Amino acid sequence: MRGPRRATWLFVLAVALAAVLSSLPRGALAFDRNFAGSAQLDYHFAPTAKRARSFPDAFDGFTMELAGKVAVDFSDKVSANLKVCYGCHGFEADMMYFDFRVADELNFRVGRFSPTFGAFNLRHDPANHRLSDKPLAYDMGRMLRMRQWNLGVMPSPFPDNGVEINGTRRLGAIAQLDYAVYAVSGFKADAGALDLDFKLSRSPQSYYVDNNARPAGGARVAVTLKLGDVSDLTLGASGMYGTFDPDNRLSYAIVGADATLRLETTTVRVEGLSRRQEMDTSDPSRFKYVLSDKRGDFFMKHGAYVEVEQAVTRELDLIARADGLLRVGNVAADSELSSRATVLRYTLGLAYAIERGLRVKFSTEAWDFGERDALTNRKFELGMHAALAGSF
Amino acid sequence: MIAGSRAARSLMVTLALFAAPAACTGARAEGLDASKLPEPVRADYEVFARKCSKCHSLARPLGAGITDDEQWAMYVARMRRQPGSGIFADDEVAILRFLRFHAAELRKKKSGTQDAGGSP
Repeated sequence: MRGPRRATWLFVLAVALAAVLSSLPRGALAFDRNFAGSAQLDYHFAPTAKRARSFPDAFDGFTMELAGKVAVDFSDKVSANLKVCYGCHGFEADMMYFDFRVADELNFRVGRFSPTFGAFNLRHDPANHRLSDKPLAYDMGRMLRMRQWNLGVMPSPFPDNGVEINGTRRLGAIAQLDYAVYAVSGFKADAGALDLDFKLSRSPQSYYVDNNARPAGGARVAVTLKLGDVSDLTLGASGMYGTFDPDNRLSYAIVGADATLRLETTTVRVEGLSRRQEMDTSDPSRFKYVLSDKRGDFFMKHGAYVEVEQAVTRELDLIARADGLLRVGNVAADSELSSRATVLRYTLGLAYAIERGLRVKFSTEAWDFGERDALTNRKFELGMHAALAGSF
Repeated sequence: MIAGSRAARSLMVTLALFAAPAACTGARAEGLDASKLPEPVRADYEVFARKCSKCHSLARPLGAGITDDEQWAMYVARMRRQPGSGIFADDEVAILRFLRFHAAELRKKKSGTQDAGGSP
């Protein structure tokens, strides 16, 4: 009880602070501040999954996500960001950091933030992407058969405590280089874990301290090429490595590559991620398959998506996405997954602006699982989303 | 069959609930209609609209209510330096030109409202 209550108080205090900062006249403070927020109410309709053995391991119904953020510019060199969000894991301090800029090429970020990884995380707020849900590689657990596929490859957002050095550098007339290197607490799990325990990164009493006193590190480098006044191409690569158990015996490594092409009214995004995840194999009876001597103590989880977003009118966007996950390696004894499990999803959707800052989103998803459901013997499932998303 | 029709009914009701706001308000794009902007700022607006919609909706900057040019300068500089923003230094110049126009329009509206409110 103490954790949720503390989180609620944290949220109330943050909102009160944001309200006070926003309501003060400019002259009362010697710095510029900006208040922003977003919210999405989504209805997920999963008709074919209802009779599946995996049901109710899918969110069939309403989900609500909301966030409020205050950004303060103390000067050209120093700024601060505070963001509180509410979602599947309750209230969460998503950002609370300071930026200190020595130059465009050298910025120090200190506090709680999502370390720079991949292209999608910049748009992780539901009001900032046109479909209701995230690509599977970044999904935290809103997929069908979620108990089996939970966490995707890199569950987004992934706020963590630490320090990041980042910067941007112009390379000639048409290119720009972005980089980031960071050390953060890293993902967590208890001793004897078979996977990351993302809840430990989200609960206030657990994210306050590192569980193994050893930071995780990572980096990203990206190049943006200017193709015209309103067209560009970004190519990026990211990596992260750390240990996640209290004894520092088990490690994870995540790598990713991404490309974003923006041509006039068309945006094409391609991204691929892979996670190598070590498991505690001291008790072979916990596994479904016989442990091999070599390469038996880890699994690989790969995820990728291709997304095309087309603005049809100023109000209407059409979106098509194909994404999937591939998991290779041993699984827990009670898992319905095989040692080489796949899921593919095909999505068609639209987003329609009904007012400035307010959109309705509709999408239909066709799911193709590698494993048949134990009860219905079905591999294919259908999902539909209807959402109202707003931002200011 | 009954369960199926009930599910279909609940889907239809849900879709109607989400579509209702659109039917009630009609469409209004998140951005501005460039054709209604003065000729000199149209190109700058296009750069603003394209660059500033990469990570968030245009409603955020357009609805921020910032009327101070200096605050916009710091705001846009902070955005440009975000890893992955894709905003070049010359984009920043164009974006700021548009936002200064937008801020001036807001100031005009505010002073107009105050004048109207202050009239006996």
